[in-house]
Amino acid sequence: MTGPGVSVIAVVIVLALLASTGRVFLTIGLAIVTGWLLGYLAIRSRGFETVYVSISEVFESVPVISFFPVVLIFFVDRIGGYLGVELAVDFLVFTAVVWNIWMGIYQAFKTVPAAMVEALENMGYGFLGKMRRLYIPFSVPRIAANLMPSFADAYFYITVSEVFSVGATSHHVFGVGTLISSYVSEGLYTCVYYSLAALAVLVAGVTLGLRSFANWAVAKYGLDTPMTLARRRARGRWRALSEFYAGAARPLRAVAGAVRRAPVVRSIQVVRRRSPPGRGGGRALDWALRAVGVALLVLIVYGAADVITSTRPSTWAYLLSQTWPILVGLAYDYARVAAIALVSFVIAVFLGYYLATHRRAEAVGVPLTLALAALPAPAYFPLLFLATSAALYRALGGLANELYVVSLGFVSTFYYIFYSYWMGLKALPHEVNEVMDNLNMGFFTRLRRVLLPGTMPYIVTGLTSTIDSAWGGLMIGEYWPQIAGDRTLEVTHGVLKIMDVATYEGNIALASYASLLFGVVVVVFALAFTRYLLEVSRRKYVIEEAVYAA
Amino acid sequence: MLEAQDLAFSYGDFPVFEHVNLEVNENGFVVIVGPSGSGKSTLLRVLGGFLRPTRGKVLLMGEEVTRPSPKIMMVHQAIVTFPWMTVLENVMMGAEARGLPKEAAREVALQMIEVVGLRGFEDFYPKQLSGGMRQRVAIARALAADPVVLLMDEPFAHLDELTAEALRRDVYDMLFNVNTSLKGVVMITHNLVEAVELADVVYVLNGRPATITAKVKVSLPRPRVPKDPAFIEYTDLLYDYIAGGAL
Repeated sequence: MTGPGVSVIAVVIVLALLASTGRVFLTIGLAIVTGWLLGYLAIRSRGFETVYVSISEVFESVPVISFFPVVLIFFVDRIGGYLGVELAVDFLVFTAVVWNIWMGIYQAFKTVPAAMVEALENMGYGFLGKMRRLYIPFSVPRIAANLMPSFADAYFYITVSEVFSVGATSHHVFGVGTLISSYVSEGLYTCVYYSLAALAVLVAGVTLGLRSFANWAVAKYGLDTPMTLARRRARGRWRALSEFYAGAARPLRAVAGAVRRAPVVRSIQVVRRRSPPGRGGGRALDWALRAVGVALLVLIVYGAADVITSTRPSTWAYLLSQTWPILVGLAYDYARVAAIALVSFVIAVFLGYYLATHRRAEAVGVPLTLALAALPAPAYFPLLFLATSAALYRALGGLANELYVVSLGFVSTFYYIFYSYWMGLKALPHEVNEVMDNLNMGFFTRLRRVLLPGTMPYIVTGLTSTIDSAWGGLMIGEYWPQIAGDRTLEVTHGVLKIMDVATYEGNIALASYASLLFGVVVVVFALAFTRYLLEVSRRKYVIEEAVYAA
Repeated sequence: MLEAQDLAFSYGDFPVFEHVNLEVNENGFVVIVGPSGSGKSTLLRVLGGFLRPTRGKVLLMGEEVTRPSPKIMMVHQAIVTFPWMTVLENVMMGAEARGLPKEAAREVALQMIEVVGLRGFEDFYPKQLSGGMRQRVAIARALAADPVVLLMDEPFAHLDELTAEALRRDVYDMLFNVNTSLKGVVMITHNLVEAVELADVVYVLNGRPATITAKVKVSLPRPRVPKDPAFIEYTDLLYDYIAGGAL
């Protein structure tokens, strides 16, 4: 190997890892603190809650990458310099992690037992006292459980957003993503291996640490008895999503316990009230927060109108002429996403069942998959490409590109449906398993009659997350210049390729327009289709209702 | 017919019960009573083949029970019905376990629904039924599988007292009915009134590790009346066995 000495490389790798990890935890920390404040406002004001949850739900449905053009315009173009690029990277990572954490905290605040709130109010605690002594500690288990998927998501996006090109200009900030990218482009593969090994060690260590933290948080801050809730149930589909995320990091017994406790908690009377009795400030605060919510909406609409009116007619004509190619690309991409979701689902159904029914395999398989899931695919994918591309292109020709892109989407997202389904299986009441054993049901009969219907809400939740995250993998894979040396991975059609190429060529108008169409279609699909499926599944296929315990 | 020979069971190093011997004769209703934590539910699962004993064996008609099968059906304490299936579909699951064609399974299911007194509710979903009715669905599903022995794990525990009383009154006739092939029942319960009302034989499971500390034959005519002095004598006797913890 030529170039710098091993000790220098080691130091650089460690510093790069520290920089990237620092960014990840900084943005996660910011998401937590803002989540506490916004969560508290949401439970105090129904108006604010409606706006907060609705906006979050829409933005959660939009893949992170569709924020990219906006980020480029605002941070790189308007602010510029290293600071602009650094803020752009941080903002992208923030958008990747914030929704889980915000809604996890909101969900936690909504489920604070009434008796605990009353106890603090009885003692005269104000906002800070209640936050410090009740709301923040109560939200810790859910935050801890959300840290794992947030960390995985953040690392996935940080490795690709630390370095990007707009037109002839390449932007980058110091971090492991930039480091690996530069080693790959310079052909320093030994350095790439060292970086990946160090990254794997870091990811495994952080995964282990977060699992331990989640267990500790549940043990210390979790309630062991169901209590009357202080507020009505959380809105929207966040409940199911957060149940999934909350479970993903817990030990098996805690997962089963948490999910099985849910119907008991749901069945008890919920006290509907928003502000403490005898205090007049609640109503005024509610109206003030409603006004803030409306002001936010007006700002968003104004911003959109400003962009539309300030764009020249010739640019609009050009953009409109690109609508058809964008829609065709979108159709291609939906086909890819469908393939990824289908393959992920089939593997999850078999692997999830195997692990859920084989304790030893589960004890090894689940933490291993967790660690692998947290290892960012964009960091190691170029090596897989390098190792296999010669044989695959010889065997498949142009189809190899499709295979690579779909594979990248798959490794980026498979674990959502896998974990969700596995969690659903672990949440099956043991009595249900005994009935299946008792009736001598074979695997496929179990699957058809009990397991698939019984885990339907988990499957829909997992598939929704899988579909949302698959876009990220496709965005990276559909146009990847210099993936290995001077070779470029690209597909023939795809809306994400259009956005990639437009960004790469500095055509921000086209990138933004494609991003807008893409965002609208994805959000409409998410709200109309996946939300409908989730509602149906939660209405009809609720396995907790299989057991009646008065 | 069903026989437990010198059964023992441990969770790791913790022995739950040992030296358990019991038998269920043809058309016999056996009840196992004992304090909480004595291993009654565990024993029931060993009898059904859901758990393997650490020592001893369970024989059904002379054949060793090594795994769950429709010949020994379990009715759970937490009443199990599938919310996405109607009453008829829930019960048909049991009939289909016999390998019957769909139409025949439907006929059997309808017959069992009639036996448990739910005629007219075939197209209802479980969430539209009361707890007592749901437990009848679970019993009908178990009976539709054509079992030889029924295991009942505190089947009335999650019902209110009036519903439980009504179901107790009906359950003996439901189980030992010309339309069923059932040859015996093993039920566990905390409730001594329930035990005396239904049992031909009561086994008391007590101690740590638990073992059978008493076997009481209940020789009262049916239907039994809890206010009958002879009935009360039996419940007092069982109470003494459980409280005393010895024969």
